[in-house]
Amino acid sequence: MLSIFKSIPTHMDYKGQKLAEQIFQGIILVSAVIGFIYGLIVEQFGWTVYIVLGGFAISCLLTLPPWPMYRRHPLTWQPAVPESQGDVRDKPQENVKKPRKHK
Amino acid sequence: MNTVLSRANSLFAFSLSVMAALTFGCFITTAFKERTVPVHIHVSKVLLKNVDDFTGPRERSDLGIINFDISADLEPIFDWNVKELFLYLSAEYTTKSNALNQVVLWDKIIQRGEKTNIILKDVKSKYFFFDDGNGLRANKNVTLTLSWNVVPNAGILPLITGSGHMSLPFPETYETPRSY
Repeated sequence: MLSIFKSIPTHMDYKGQKLAEQIFQGIILVSAVIGFIYGLIVEQFGWTVYIVLGGFAISCLLTLPPWPMYRRHPLTWQPAVPESQGDVRDKPQENVKKPRKHK
Repeated sequence: MNTVLSRANSLFAFSLSVMAALTFGCFITTAFKERTVPVHIHVSKVLLKNVDDFTGPRERSDLGIINFDISADLEPIFDWNVKELFLYLSAEYTTKSNALNQVVLWDKIIQRGEKTNIILKDVKSKYFFFDDGNGLRANKNVTLTLSWNVVPNAGILPLITGSGHMSLPFPETYETPRSY
């Protein structure tokens, strides 16, 4: 049972997160402008609120679930380095530290 | 933005900020609007009595009895930032003891969507027009004005006096009380 839940992908990659933020901001701003103009015309502020709430619902549907379009740019990791080379990687860092001198 | 909850949080916060900006926009589009309309007030009956005022000084005080007509079209006041109007008819006069007396005689609430054109004929006042002494008798200048509070969706709560008022003199003699 748990494995079914774990198999559901929930993450977005970095570009997907940026895209999701741009999408919901765009939808809510557009619905706000439409709602403001429509409310001003019909002289009912309630319509403005309803239209913004509609935009909120649409952007919830579009950006809350991690749809595949937000997972098109997965991070490419470096291939795993064998354990024995770990000691070699540490040495250059020490060399960098040594020449630092305080005046 | 990497989990569903953090996305929901930023979406909700952004929507609330946008809604606050829209509400401010609603206020600013109506903030400088003139909300005065002409009002016609006519008094059809004036009586003056001298009766016991049990609520006040427990002496005999002047009680004015006024029937009035009001006609006003309040349609221009309503816009998308008005929820209701609170209308009240007040009488202002000067006596020896007080430079300014104000008594509310009648009031009415008009909500959005209700009939905005008020035409009243020969209406009795809703509240007692008691003076706190004997200042009403032979008072030459009692002024009736219609004012209103505008209750908005957002912003300030303006108090506006309608243009057009009615001044009337009060009789010199008291109406003799009949059987109560």
